[in-house]
Amino acid sequence: MAAAEPLAHEGTSYAVVEEEPPELLGRNLVSASYLLAGATAFFFVAFLFAYFYLRSLNNADMWKPAGIDASVGWGTAVVACYVVSAALVRIGLTDHLALRRSQWRMKGLAALLVGVVGLVLQVIAWTHEGFGPADGGFASVYFGWTAFLFLFVLGTMLWLQMTVAMSLRYAQAEGGVPAGHASGDPDRTAHDIRDPLSLVRAELVGVSFYWTFLAGIAVVTWVVLYLI
Amino acid sequence: MTEAAIAPPPPLWRRLLGFNLLTGIVLGIGGWYVGWYGAHAISGPSIEYFGDTDYNELSVYLAYIGGVIGFLVGLGFLNYPFARLRGYPPSLREKETGGWTRYFGLCTDHKVVGIQYLWGIGLFFFIGGLNAMLIRTEQLSPHSQSFPMGTYLTIVGMHGTMMMGMMTSGILGPFANYLVPIMIGARRMAFPRIEALTFWLLMAAGAILTTTIFFGGFPTGWTGYAPLQTEANAGIDNYILFFALVGISMTLLGLNMIATILTMRAPGLTWTRLPIFVWGVLSTAVLMVLAAPVLVAVLAMGALDRTAQTSFFNAAAGGSSYLYENLFWVFGHPEVYILALPGFAIVLELLPVFSRKPLWGYRLAVAGLLGVSLLSWFVWQHHLFVSGINGDLRPFYMLSTELISIPTGFTFLCGMMTLWRGSIRFTVPMLFCLAWFFNFLIGGLSGVFLSDVPSDVTTHGSFFSMAHFHYTIMGGLVFTFFAAIYYWLPKMTGWELNERLGKIHFWTMFVFFNSTFAPLFAAGFLGQSRRAPVYTGNLKFLNDWVSISAFLLGISMLVFLYNLVRSVAFVKKPAEANPWSSRSIEFQLPSPVPVHNFDRIPVFSSDPYGYGEGPAPSWVVPAGAPAGRE
Repeated sequence: MAAAEPLAHEGTSYAVVEEEPPELLGRNLVSASYLLAGATAFFFVAFLFAYFYLRSLNNADMWKPAGIDASVGWGTAVVACYVVSAALVRIGLTDHLALRRSQWRMKGLAALLVGVVGLVLQVIAWTHEGFGPADGGFASVYFGWTAFLFLFVLGTMLWLQMTVAMSLRYAQAEGGVPAGHASGDPDRTAHDIRDPLSLVRAELVGVSFYWTFLAGIAVVTWVVLYLI
Repeated sequence: MTEAAIAPPPPLWRRLLGFNLLTGIVLGIGGWYVGWYGAHAISGPSIEYFGDTDYNELSVYLAYIGGVIGFLVGLGFLNYPFARLRGYPPSLREKETGGWTRYFGLCTDHKVVGIQYLWGIGLFFFIGGLNAMLIRTEQLSPHSQSFPMGTYLTIVGMHGTMMMGMMTSGILGPFANYLVPIMIGARRMAFPRIEALTFWLLMAAGAILTTTIFFGGFPTGWTGYAPLQTEANAGIDNYILFFALVGISMTLLGLNMIATILTMRAPGLTWTRLPIFVWGVLSTAVLMVLAAPVLVAVLAMGALDRTAQTSFFNAAAGGSSYLYENLFWVFGHPEVYILALPGFAIVLELLPVFSRKPLWGYRLAVAGLLGVSLLSWFVWQHHLFVSGINGDLRPFYMLSTELISIPTGFTFLCGMMTLWRGSIRFTVPMLFCLAWFFNFLIGGLSGVFLSDVPSDVTTHGSFFSMAHFHYTIMGGLVFTFFAAIYYWLPKMTGWELNERLGKIHFWTMFVFFNSTFAPLFAAGFLGQSRRAPVYTGNLKFLNDWVSISAFLLGISMLVFLYNLVRSVAFVKKPAEANPWSSRSIEFQLPSPVPVHNFDRIPVFSSDPYGYGEGPAPSWVVPAGAPAGRE
C-alpha cells in the first residue's frame, strides 16, 4: 500500500480519465436497465389504475358503449411479436455468453425485425379498430396505453439496434476499435473505455432484461385490454 | 495508459457555428415552426396563435415538441445516439476541456453540469420570485386592482409551477451532480450525457412555461386540476409540456444518481461510511424514478384529452376528473419529499462540520430519510379529504400522514443531538441550517392540522395551507439551498463569498420570511382563500403587512445576488481549499476541483464525521488504482 498523498493536482493530464475499465460502464448499464424497468412499471401502473378506476365508475354509462371492443386478433398478433422478439434477444444473449457470436448476431437481427413488425402491426391495428379515442373511457385507456407502449417498444428497438449494429460493425475488425471511434470528441485519439467492444455483452444483458420486462408489460396489456 | 491528444480549441467563429446554446436556440425556434406548420398539415388550418383562444391544440404540442428536438439537435445531443445507431461503440466524455464555452452547451463534466444547474435554476427561481412579488402587489387591495382575474391566476400558476417544477432539481441538480461523484470517490456520473440532458431539458421546460403568456396563460395553479385543465385555453398546453419535460428530466436525474451511487463507490466506501448527503440524494432519487413517471403518464392523458379527444377526465364521456386528482397526488406527495429530503440531508451534512462533533445517530438519520421516502407513498389521499373521498378511507390516510412525522422526527433528533454540547460556529451556512429547524418545525406542526380531517375541512384551500407549504418548502428547502450555496460555492467556483453580506442576507431573509408567512396562518383561519385576488376588508391590514414583508424578502434575495456577483465577478478572492475545516473528501481537493477529480481513485477508511476523534482521515491512494471498485 502506497503512502498517503494529495488526492489531485491541478496539472494532472486529462489522460488519467481515459481508458477506463469497461466493467464500470457495464455495471452502470445493467443497473440502469433495472431502474428503467422500475420507472416504466410506474408509468404503466397509471394506465392500469385508470383502467380499473374508470371501469368501476362507468360514468354516464360511457365506459364501454355497445360495439366498443378491441380486436383480440390484432392485439394477440402485436403482443406475440413483442414476446417472440424479447425471447430471441434472450436466446441471443445465451449465444453470446457461449461465444457463438455469429448466431447471436442472427438472432439479434431477427429480434429487431420481429419487434418492428410488431410496431407496424400495432399501427395497422389502430386503423382497423371500429372505434376512435373519443368513444368513451375504455377507448381512451386503450389508445393511450397502446400508444405509449408503442413508444417504449420503439425506444427499446433503437437500443437493440445500437447493440446489434456495434456487433455487426466490428464483426470482422482485427485489433479492436480504430482510434477515435470510442472517444466522445473527434479530436481525441484515446478511447474513453478500454476495450469498448467488450461492452456488447453488458449492453445485451441490459437490453435483454428491459425488453423481457417490457414484453411482460405487453402481456399484461393484452390481458387487461383484450381479454377481460 | 494511452496519452490523450487534445487538439487546441478551434477559433471562436467556428465554435459559434458548432453545436452550442446559440445553435440550439436557432434550431429550437426553427423546430417550433416546423412543428407548428406540420400540425396544420395534419389537422387543417388553425387560428392565429397570439391573442386568440380557439387553437388547434395539436399545433401547440407539435410546435413545442419540434422546438425541443431542434434545441437538443443544436446542442449536439443527437450526434451520439446517431453514431451508436450506426454501430460505433459507447463513449463517456464530451467537450470537457473547452474553457468557458463548456458552460454554454453539452458538456459531460459533472462539475460543469452542476454549475449550469445552479445558474439555470437560479434564473427560473428569480422569475418565480418575481411572480410572487406580483401576487403580493395584487393583494395590497381587497379588490381586484392590478391585473385582470385571468392574468392574476396565470401569475399564481406560473409562480407555483415554476417553483415546484424547477426546485425539484434545486438541490440534486447543482449540488448532487457536482458533489456525489466526488463524495463517493468517482470521476464521473454513471451516464454523463444523460446528466447533461437532464439540465437542458429543464431549461427547455422553463422556456415553455414562460411562453404560456403568449397563449393566454392557465387558470389552474400548479396542480393543473381537471376539468379546468380540459376546458382551459391553450396556455395550459404549455403547463402540460413543462411538467412532462420536468418529469422526464427528474426520472433520468434520479436514475443516474442511483446508478452512480450503486455502482461507482470507491473501495472502502461501505454503506455505513456513505456521507449522509449521499443518503439523502439516494432516497430522493428513488422517489424521482418512481413518482415522476406517474406525473408524465397523467399529463400524457391530459394532452390526449386535449388533442385526440379522449375522455380520461371528462365525466360526461366516461372519464373522471378524480382520476387526475388521484394520479397527480400519487406523484405530488412524494414530490413534496423530493423537495424536502435533500434539505434534511444538507442540514445533517453541515451540522457536524460547524458543531465539531460526529453526526449523532448516523443509522437513525438514514432510517429517517428512508422512512420518509417509503411513507410518502401512502399519504396522497389527504389532498382529497374535501374532494369527495370515501369517508371510510379518511382515517387511514390521516394516520399514515401523521405517521410520517416519526421518521421526520428522527432527522430532527439527530440534528439536535449533534448540536448538543458542540463547539458551534455561527457561520452563514450554519445560520441557514439552524433556521431550518425553526421553519420546518412550524411547517411540520401546521401540517398536523392539514392531515387531521376535521381541521383540514376548515383550512383546506385557504391561506393556512399556503403558509404551511411555504414553511416546509421555502423554510425547508430554500433555506438549506442557501446553506449549500454558502458552504460549497467556494469549492465549486474557487471564489470566496463575502461573510458579512451573507449574514445580512440570512437575517433579512429569516426575519422577512417569517414576517411574510406567519400572518398568513391567521389569514387562512379567518377565511382568506388561496388563489383568489379578492378578500374581505377586515383582512387588509394582515395582507398589507404580508405584502410589505414579501417585498423586503425579495430585497433580501437581491443582497444575495449582489454578494454573488460581487464575489465571483469582481472581488474574486480565492477560496481556501478547506475553508470550514471539513473532513469531507471534497474539501481535500483543490478549489475548484480539477476536471479529473482524483489523480487516482481513493480508498476510504472511515465516514467523514469523526470530528474530535483525532486527525482528519487520509485517503490512502494505491498507485495505479483504476476507476471504480476493481
